[in-house]
Amino acid sequence: MVLAAKVEELAAPMEASVHTEISLQDVSVSYPAEKQQRKTVLSGVNLEIEAGEFVVLLGETGCGKSTLLRLILGQEFATEGKICVDGKSVTRIDARCGYVPQKYSLFPDRSALDNVMYGPLNAHRKFAGWFRPSRYRYRKQLRTEAKEYLTRMGLRPGDMKKYPHQLSGGMQQRVAIAQCLMMRPPVLLMDEAFSALDPSTRASLQQLVKQIWSDWRPTVVFVTHNTPEALLLGTRLILLTRHTDQETPHSNVALDMKLPVSDELLSARKQSKEFRELVEYVERFTCPGPELVTQSPHGQDFV
Amino acid sequence: MATGALHPGRLIDVQARPRQLSVQALSWMLFIVCIGFYLHVSATRHRENSEDRVVPSGAQLLHGIKASVLEPAEEDDALEDGASTWQRIHHSMLWKDTASSSRRFFISLALLVPAILLGLHMAVFPYIGAVCLRFVLFFDKIVALSLLPILFIVFGIDEWSKIMLMVIGVAPTLILDTYQMAQAVPREQVVKAFTLKSSNFDVAYRVVLKQILPQVINSVRLNLKPMVLFLFAGEMIAATDGLAYRIAIMRRHMGMDIIIPYLLWVAILLYGVDALLRYANRRLHPWF
Repeated sequence: MVLAAKVEELAAPMEASVHTEISLQDVSVSYPAEKQQRKTVLSGVNLEIEAGEFVVLLGETGCGKSTLLRLILGQEFATEGKICVDGKSVTRIDARCGYVPQKYSLFPDRSALDNVMYGPLNAHRKFAGWFRPSRYRYRKQLRTEAKEYLTRMGLRPGDMKKYPHQLSGGMQQRVAIAQCLMMRPPVLLMDEAFSALDPSTRASLQQLVKQIWSDWRPTVVFVTHNTPEALLLGTRLILLTRHTDQETPHSNVALDMKLPVSDELLSARKQSKEFRELVEYVERFTCPGPELVTQSPHGQDFV
Repeated sequence: MATGALHPGRLIDVQARPRQLSVQALSWMLFIVCIGFYLHVSATRHRENSEDRVVPSGAQLLHGIKASVLEPAEEDDALEDGASTWQRIHHSMLWKDTASSSRRFFISLALLVPAILLGLHMAVFPYIGAVCLRFVLFFDKIVALSLLPILFIVFGIDEWSKIMLMVIGVAPTLILDTYQMAQAVPREQVVKAFTLKSSNFDVAYRVVLKQILPQVINSVRLNLKPMVLFLFAGEMIAATDGLAYRIAIMRRHMGMDIIIPYLLWVAILLYGVDALLRYANRRLHPWF
């Protein structure tokens, strides 16, 4: 457990950041439940996320990962506490954050290309009327740019004119990422964006996202319940667990650690012994059961 | 057993895959059966009474169609003998009645556009929904035909009472239908649109309305018949022209040779409007 020891060191309090992109101060979320009681989802969450970090939110189903993401997005409001993105309080959904959900990420009535152009055209429309010549010039220029983005995402020219229902799940998510990137948001929020995909598509998209992050360095908050995926992608891992043993069951941050950023290819990294040890280490926090099963009955590694 | 000649057992075979030609042929089968049955009943009645008017024969029907299409209504002046066929058609009973009923129908259809927009706004803007939803739900339960006397008092017995009957009869259904469709648009799409710098109206019109428009058109298609039903109710009670007015008049004279062609004409017109909307939907929304 050499690596795990290293990780524990890294899990020490973070250094004072140069620029805090996202901050959550004493955030609690609760919903009205039966018999005039309230169900607490999150309680007293404090987080500071620096600009350019790739934060992975990990935890079992129902622990509040997606709620935390929706709070940052402005889709939900905290019962207590304060959330800031880029120094400003979050009061509504706006273009500070790009968003890639698990499904329904594209507008079904627009082709892949039109989906990608939707955001920039909206932004341009604010200062150029519908029928001004500048709008047509801009549109042409934007089309070229959108095609470049989609090509980089691995779409063939023939696929760009297709509607979302004509594309595979992986292709749809590629277009959704391109749609966000065209807007160049400072923060990119991904809510289990790859969980509905098959393993090979998932692996290729993981590589793609990691590559985009390396090139462009947005602040990414990536929600997943898949430990290997979290460890492969993130530079920082935040693990949420639900405390059911307490009087008011709630979720909170159980583990907040920086992850070693390796230059190795993701696939090579995934097969290393150190990586398996790290998965085992993190899963101890996720599943605090008596025995952590990491091998199948035939002796093959689950990882 | 999946392909090949038609076997009676295949009628209840879920996995049957009829050929295109068979589908086409089968789709006309019930029409042929109905026509055959009608001609049989008509022939039987005419054997008993050659002057029977309840089930007119083919010749009587042809005479009725000719009278409807080429001759003016009883209340109108007769045309000169030298009038061309086009002039005859243009001044015919059927043309006059079709034009009157169509005018009322299409004005009502246009007046239903605000109803669709209200349903959309109720779903997209929570405060508008809060104000209107309960009222529309209640208003939907009022039987529109019971409002007819009130409409006659308020709008008189002219055009507007009939038009408003159609609008009031169909609007609540269309509002609630649009509301439900707009509500069913995944929340992710709305959130995504806001992250892509959309304004509130962008979300309402360029995201939600654009997505639900094919379903709204389908809803209008399904409401065509109720609309005509209200139109006929109004025309049968108080009108001086219109398809339903003519049917009501002909009922007094037992003019089945006119009534049956008129009924078929109304069905053909409605089928045409429905086909047009279906075609427009397919062309305008290839993604649907």
